[in-house]
Formats: sequence, structure tokens, C-alpha cells
Amino acid sequence: MKEVIELLKQSELFAGLPEDKIQQIVTIGSPRVYGAGDMIIAAGDPSDELYIVQEGLVEVLVSSGPAPDVPGAQEMTAVVQLGRGQVFGEMALVDRGARSATVRCVKSDTQLFVIPRDVFWDLCEQDHHIGYVVMRNIARDLSFKLRHRNLSRGA
Amino acid sequence: MIYKISYVVLGGSHPGAIVNRDTPPQVGEVIQLNGNEYEVVSVTDLIPPQGDFAYLHVTLRPR
Repeated sequence: MKEVIELLKQSELFAGLPEDKIQQIVTIGSPRVYGAGDMIIAAGDPSDELYIVQEGLVEVLVSSGPAPDVPGAQEMTAVVQLGRGQVFGEMALVDRGARSATVRCVKSDTQLFVIPRDVFWDLCEQDHHIGYVVMRNIARDLSFKLRHRNLSRGA
Repeated sequence: MIYKISYVVLGGSHPGAIVNRDTPPQVGEVIQLNGNEYEVVSVTDLIPPQGDFAYLHVTLRPR
């Protein structure tokens, strides 16, 4: 449990939260381990979890076609790899929509910390300080990812 | 300080990566991304530091 608390303290998603609030979040999530090549989430699928990379590496893939949110047989292109401390699945926390991208594990023994969306949402509703901090941090994380994507396209 | 790094690989041979580090990368340093080696070409602030986090944009070239 101490290891997970340290992970969450070093994840931007929970930056600014005191340790007692982070401990609350730890109690509602659970660890999960994936092997290289494992599919973690698939674009178009319903979403109900938020993921934090504890150790290892995952790869985010989007459809090369014009409608990445529509499921179907489309060519997938890797747009970024996410390592320690990074979050994915956060868009579902905000909009409850279908998965916007596929995420695949690229390093064996990749460890994730998984938080069920509805339970986390309830916690944010009960404790507005947690809700405010997490939503602010999600906005900052999405902004960072967008900047990264824009820079990658020019490389 | 926690350094949130946006790695962009020149030439498009790798999609790039976002990772947290305890130390900032230095120009000339060799970085491993999923087993492949890349050399740091430049390090710049992507956005201003906030709280315990610094946000860096790092360009890499394959070795």
C-alpha cells in the first residue's frame, strides 16, 4: 500500500492532494499486471476505469482513418508511449464516452494501478476538494498530451 | 522535483513518449525507450513548472 501511495504522490493526477486524501483513493483501486503485447483497452469499447502506469510502458494507438472513435477494422498508428506516473483512460472520467484510443502494453510485467470510474466519481462528489484538484490536473495532463502530439507531428 | 518529460524522436521512427523522471535529461545523454537507444538533442521547458512538477520537451535522435 505504501508503494501505491508513493506512486500516486508522483502522478500529476493527484498533485496537490494531501496524503490522507491519497490514502482514500488507494483504497478504491487495485494493481494489475500486463505482458508485452496485451491489449489493455480498445478504441470504441465502453469505458469504466482509469489507469496509472506504476512501472513499465504502454502504447497509445489511434485509427489512421477519419473517425477514430468508431469501432471497426481500421489501421492503427502508435501516437505515444506512456511510462511511469502517466495516466490513461482519463477522458472517460470526464465525458463517460467510448474509448477514444486503443492502449497496448509494450513492456513485459507492466504494472498498472486501476481505479473504477464510478467509485472514483462518487468519491469526487463526496469530497469536492479531491474532485476539484483531480479535474484541474486532468485538464493540465490533457493539455500536456496535446502539446506533445503537436510537437511530435512536426518532428 | 518531478520531471514530466515529453520525448519526441526526430525523423518519426518512434511515436515518442511521456514519462516521469527524478532528474532532468541532459543534452548528449543516451535514453532508452523500450530497448532502443536515443541521444538527447535538446531540452526546453514545455510549460512553466507548477508545484512539484517541471514540464520538459526533449528531442531525441536515434543512435
